[in-house]
Amino acid sequence: MNISVYITPVLLVLLLLYCAKKRVNAYGTFANGAKDAIKLCLDVLPFLVTIFVAIQLFKISGLTSLLANFLSPIMNTIQIPSELTELMLIRPFSGSGSLALLEDIFSTYGADSYIARCASVIMGSSETIFYVATIYPSQTKAKRLVYAIPVALVCNIFSAIIACIVCRFC
Amino acid sequence: MKKIWFFMVLSSIVTLIFVNPEDCINAMMNAGSDAVALTIKLLGIYAVWLGIIALVDATGLSNKIANLLDPVIDWLFGRTDSETKKYLALNMSANLLGLGNACTPTGLKAMEGLDRQNNSLTASTAMIMLVVINATSIQLIPTTVIGLRQQYGSTSSSDIIVPTLIATIISTVLAVFLVKLCAKIKERLKR
Repeated sequence: MNISVYITPVLLVLLLLYCAKKRVNAYGTFANGAKDAIKLCLDVLPFLVTIFVAIQLFKISGLTSLLANFLSPIMNTIQIPSELTELMLIRPFSGSGSLALLEDIFSTYGADSYIARCASVIMGSSETIFYVATIYPSQTKAKRLVYAIPVALVCNIFSAIIACIVCRFC
Repeated sequence: MKKIWFFMVLSSIVTLIFVNPEDCINAMMNAGSDAVALTIKLLGIYAVWLGIIALVDATGLSNKIANLLDPVIDWLFGRTDSETKKYLALNMSANLLGLGNACTPTGLKAMEGLDRQNNSLTASTAMIMLVVINATSIQLIPTTVIGLRQQYGSTSSSDIIVPTLIATIISTVLAVFLVKLCAKIKERLKR
């Protein structure tokens, strides 16, 4: 079993003991903090709906596979297997969508194949960029993120290249 | 973001008109209910995390973490007030611990704090830094992926931990560097 599973529970125990030492009313404080989640989710919901509509439409229109086909040769030149193009396209938009693609790759190529391992690392080392870029500025006055999305995307592609190189050796 | 959204929706609907027009509205409705389902799921997750964060805050631990991370925060985000600094510190510790779901509530609060100081329609460098760091967040143990590999009969499902760590650290370091570089270029152009 992995040692990492103990990190959070142990930290929580320490936190509770610390609360007792500092005489903090853990019950009331926890409930009060949890209350904030309602406002947070209500604030975030409209933006989630908006971006989900775009992702869903993009997916069922077949434009993702079209774009993936178009990008495959480019991917090959930067050392990324072309089978991973669609995963890389979906990953910044949707966590569940890219997870489904990852499952496809596992069942097609086998979970221990080179392709599958590259896909796993790409999946694990990247985030749903557009989710972050939608949610984070949802409550702020400043809406223009200038170069934030391009920078994040460039880093994503770069880490995918690294992933495919590292997977050859590890 | 607004340009990307507009382009995605427009091109998709135009394509759908030719491919299968009857699916268009259905897909949009499905997307809406998916978003609501996700929000309800997140509501529970965020409630628990915000409860825990409230405990961290009430014991004064968050100020201690903020003091500890002070030099890093100053370097990454510039000067901020202590309240914002606290949330930035919590957001970064959540990132480092790989607690993805604890990042969003703290990140949003930090974002609001940075926004108050910024007072402009264009995001400040600190705000961009926060978004980019969270968009390339460091993932210590990719538990979901490991679980999925096991399910598909992998014999060494955790051998992706090290490659993932390498890729994720490189991407975050690169992100910080690129944001700093872009900020410098932008400043030059202003002059």
